[in-house]
Amino acid sequence: MRGDPILEIQGLDLGFAAYGQVTQVLHGIDLRVEIGQRVAVIGESGSGKTVTMKAVIGTLPHPAGRVLGGSIRFQGRELLTLTRSERDRLKGTDISIVHQDPLTSFNPVFTIGQHLDDVLRYADRRLGAATDRAGRQRRVETTLRQVQLNEPERILRSFPFQLSGGMRQRVLIAMALLHRPQLLIADEPGTALDVTTQDEILRLLNQLVSEEHLTLLMVTHNLAVVRQTADYVYVMQAGRIVEHGPTRAIFEAPRAPYTQQLLAAIPPLYGTRVQRREALTTDAFITASDLAKRFVSPRHWLEPARPPVTAVRGATLSVCRGDIFGIAGESGSGKTTIARMIMGLLPPTSGRIEIDGRSIEDLRADPAFRHRIQIVYQNPASSLNPRRTVAETLAVPLAFARSARRGERADRTRALLAQVELPAHFASRYPHQLSGGQKQRVAIARALAVEPEILVLDEPTSSLDVSVQKTIIDLLLALRTQLGLTYLFISHDLSLMRNFCNRIAVMFRGEICEQGTTDEVFLHPQNAYTRALIASIPVISDEEERAKPSVTLEERRAVLASTVQL
Amino acid sequence: MSSATDLTQDFEELSNLGRAWRRFLRNPAAVIGALIVISVVVAAVLAPLLAPHPGHAGSFVDFRNRHIAPSFAHVMGTDNVGRDIFSRVLFGYRVSLLLVVGVLGVAVPLGVLFGLLAGYFAGVVETAFMGFTNVMLAMPPLVMALAITAVLSPDLVNSMIAITCLWWTWHCRLVYRVTKSVAAEDFVEAARLAGASHFHVLFRELLPNCTAAISVKTTLDAGFVILFGASLSFLGLGVQPPTPDLGTMVASGAQFLPEMWWEAVMPGLAILYAILGFNLLGDGLRDMMDVEI
Amino acid sequence: MIASYLARRAIGFVFVLFGLSVVIFVVARVVPGDPARIALGPLATAEQVAQLQQEMGFDKPAIVQYVDYLGRVLHGNFGRSLLTNRPVSADIVEALPATLELVLFTLLLIVLVAVPAGVLAARWHNTWVDNTSRLLSLLGVVTPGFVVALVLQLFASLFHFFPLTGRLSPNLGFIADITRLVLVDSLLKGRFDVFADALSHIFLPSLALSAAGIGQVMRITRSSMLDVARRDHVETLRSFGVPDWLITIKYMLRLAATAPLTILGLEFASLMGNAFIVELVFAWPGFASYGVRAILSKDFNAVMAVVLMSGLFFVVANLLIDLLIGIMDPRLRIRRT
Repeated sequence: MRGDPILEIQGLDLGFAAYGQVTQVLHGIDLRVEIGQRVAVIGESGSGKTVTMKAVIGTLPHPAGRVLGGSIRFQGRELLTLTRSERDRLKGTDISIVHQDPLTSFNPVFTIGQHLDDVLRYADRRLGAATDRAGRQRRVETTLRQVQLNEPERILRSFPFQLSGGMRQRVLIAMALLHRPQLLIADEPGTALDVTTQDEILRLLNQLVSEEHLTLLMVTHNLAVVRQTADYVYVMQAGRIVEHGPTRAIFEAPRAPYTQQLLAAIPPLYGTRVQRREALTTDAFITASDLAKRFVSPRHWLEPARPPVTAVRGATLSVCRGDIFGIAGESGSGKTTIARMIMGLLPPTSGRIEIDGRSIEDLRADPAFRHRIQIVYQNPASSLNPRRTVAETLAVPLAFARSARRGERADRTRALLAQVELPAHFASRYPHQLSGGQKQRVAIARALAVEPEILVLDEPTSSLDVSVQKTIIDLLLALRTQLGLTYLFISHDLSLMRNFCNRIAVMFRGEICEQGTTDEVFLHPQNAYTRALIASIPVISDEEERAKPSVTLEERRAVLASTVQL
Repeated sequence: MSSATDLTQDFEELSNLGRAWRRFLRNPAAVIGALIVISVVVAAVLAPLLAPHPGHAGSFVDFRNRHIAPSFAHVMGTDNVGRDIFSRVLFGYRVSLLLVVGVLGVAVPLGVLFGLLAGYFAGVVETAFMGFTNVMLAMPPLVMALAITAVLSPDLVNSMIAITCLWWTWHCRLVYRVTKSVAAEDFVEAARLAGASHFHVLFRELLPNCTAAISVKTTLDAGFVILFGASLSFLGLGVQPPTPDLGTMVASGAQFLPEMWWEAVMPGLAILYAILGFNLLGDGLRDMMDVEI
Repeated sequence: MIASYLARRAIGFVFVLFGLSVVIFVVARVVPGDPARIALGPLATAEQVAQLQQEMGFDKPAIVQYVDYLGRVLHGNFGRSLLTNRPVSADIVEALPATLELVLFTLLLIVLVAVPAGVLAARWHNTWVDNTSRLLSLLGVVTPGFVVALVLQLFASLFHFFPLTGRLSPNLGFIADITRLVLVDSLLKGRFDVFADALSHIFLPSLALSAAGIGQVMRITRSSMLDVARRDHVETLRSFGVPDWLITIKYMLRLAATAPLTILGLEFASLMGNAFIVELVFAWPGFASYGVRAILSKDFNAVMAVVLMSGLFFVVANLLIDLLIGIMDPRLRIRRT
């Protein structure tokens, strides 16, 4: 009956036992999901949201995970007092979970068909019904069609690595739906996917909930995603529920400071909160004309030749001195390839690049050029040598850039660390003794050591927590003013770029499909892909939603169809 | 400002080595291994002082005391010409350790160098080195060592040469694999972009990332070199008598099985003891440094 | 698909075998001392030595000697054995089946013992099952082959369950002429008495030969299974209630098997080496014991042939293992789309 609770968690206390001690991770969780509702649980990593879901499903690590108190009732039945086999009977049949990472959730050496068949067969068996393979196959194909996968036979025969991320996520949803569960739990749906694909997956979930009369319990760290996909929201922090309420109330009038903090951390796309950047100069500094890059895959003479991959085609762009120029695109769009060509690391197949009037061929031959443009990498863990201290890492550019004597070097190291707001005693630390944000600051310091004019930033904040991202961005802005730097900022995070860059080029499958000032691109996007991309970014207010560009259904389908191939 | 919390977030001041050491001590097998290895080294170095009958290590005969079973006077018994087996075992450890030092002292640096070069430079260098290495690895090492020592005359130095010729390839392959994966990391490119020379990248950036794997493998290898050398001398192709060698002792004792079992079993256990020690130590190091071999 | 994957590996191995032949040739010819004189002994006259040298082709330049040698080897001509005075190829053909049988039985033993042991040890991680099997496998790894062989012989002589040496009791009058493998042929011909006898003869040598292999494979299986157990897809299947035993035997094992199989391929090299010792100790009439005799009497042609055969065994075994891995792991043979 609608309105009745399908899941009720009351006063749940949970802990983990290790080396004889129990650490409590959940404190008095109260959660209620009504039939037909879509409920979201928001929390950052470490909030306890995943553990709560595991407790509901019954996959807590055993015996480390201990319930210390409270109750979990499903359709009125107390789950915590059930036996293992009774609990197992509910899995996949009454309560199903859609897992987070479509890449690692499948065993790579088995076909999709084998996964789905085994799941269905054992679910049937647990309910006492023995079914035949043909019957199961029919049911599996029907479910695949329901999640908008139109070639079920081909998909069943494929191995996971032969499908795209979006398709794999749909298969995971299908796996959860095979036995018509009452409660569907979705763990970070679409987080591992591109924004456009994530949008589609969320729409699919909405559709399934209404068509199949499901109840949806969604767990995510991204508050904005929740606005369109949930009726009721619980906010968790450090194992406690700090706030809950209907979606509208949470977004429009959040009471808890943590919720307000979460909302504030989401960069706005439109409205007065947007931070606009201005160009500092109008002198063209970096220009690329009709740039193209083709990769020929090395082939073994025993195999048929594979067609060369065109990573970039017909790219033309212009960066002025002092710009924060953003190159936006999803994975495989060619954005990193363009940046590497501009840096001189990859020779272009055709086209011209000029920096400060000199061609890239000239510059690649000139060792002094190396020091005018540097790069900060995405993953702070792999961009620092784990076996070298901060001082030793910084010594490399210092030693080879200027002939600095030992004494001078120590001073320069201190100065660099101060510039990135790190205390001097960090110089003797190893990377494992630094946090992600601190490591990234060291990476920035290393890039600055040779006093470059241009800094290429390759997704520098993607692997950092949202709160830390902001501090790094602030640092970069300060450095730009202090040192007169020009930035080439590569990212897939458009909302971040909206508030950081002054010019943006949007790339799609190797081509620049839109280019202009940030305001132009966001307020008046011309290209269909750009519009679809911006439209699929989750926002937190109705005003912003209305300000988004409009995209017709056909346009969206067309863009999606072309991205699915990637 | 949350930047402040980011900066003051302090981590354990304990260094790399300190934490690793504590992890090592918590592993009983590793500690036992270390103790065994230390005892073997001490036994070998101080053999003349520790052996109850140091004179028995050379050519010595005492037919009145042959074939005595293990007793207080002779802890491991005596062999067919009356020599105290325990003393000979202690001196036998000298030969074993000499073999280890001789082989690994050459094989490891050679293998590491070639592995680094092959993994970093790729292309022709990689194909040439690894092609050659793969050929060497395809040869059953004992077989090749037998063949080599057979054509040269059998003695300690030749066995060392034979074993070294093959052994360096294992280290080469190991370092090659580690180097190849590390060379793809961003910090290597960053160092090159900062102006580092190839020499710097190879020895200051890549090599430190290999040392963990190299030390584990070298420790485990010490045990296997001993095993190998013993197998060679068991077949009569290693050290020649009267120099005491554990493998030869087992071989000559084998004729007297099963009545005078101690003459073959005791030296065999001695070999086992040494290999066990190195193996446990190597495993312990592997767990401590968290590497995959 | 899988054909091209195998073809690539096979070509690599052909190069390996060529390289092997070069190295063997170089080792054999770059010998201090005169092989002809060594073969004939110190009492030979200068003419006799010169004649043998010419017979053996030592007076021609090295490259020519190698090409000649390679040509002959590819035709199966390994020259004459100085010990038996028969063509070496005949000696090897006669001795080959015994070694083949021993090696195959050993591999079977390793897989049937080590893999289940590793799976169980991983499943009952940190219990007595795990600790006992780890201890036993450690002993297998650290005990030299000849020590295991001698200890087994000791027990055999004390308890009289198994025969000490040889491949078959002499009084049974059985000729294996179908596959040349006594165990197989005796079953094919219905002679179960011969089968039982052969089994009792092969058991101890095989056990001695397999000890190290069992140890290594068991440890790798265990760690590989533990590693796979941590992965997300295992959790996925569990959350749908798929039974644990199915997950372990079907899903985890298939993924985890690559590592132990690869190790088995590498272990094969030391297996071949240990075969020499085991065949010697148990007087097993295979080409490895033939090889030891050849080495000890400096019978060149025989030594080179035996080393080449061992290399060939290694290469073929690894090729078969690669085939098996390719079947089990589709990522290796199917191109990503």
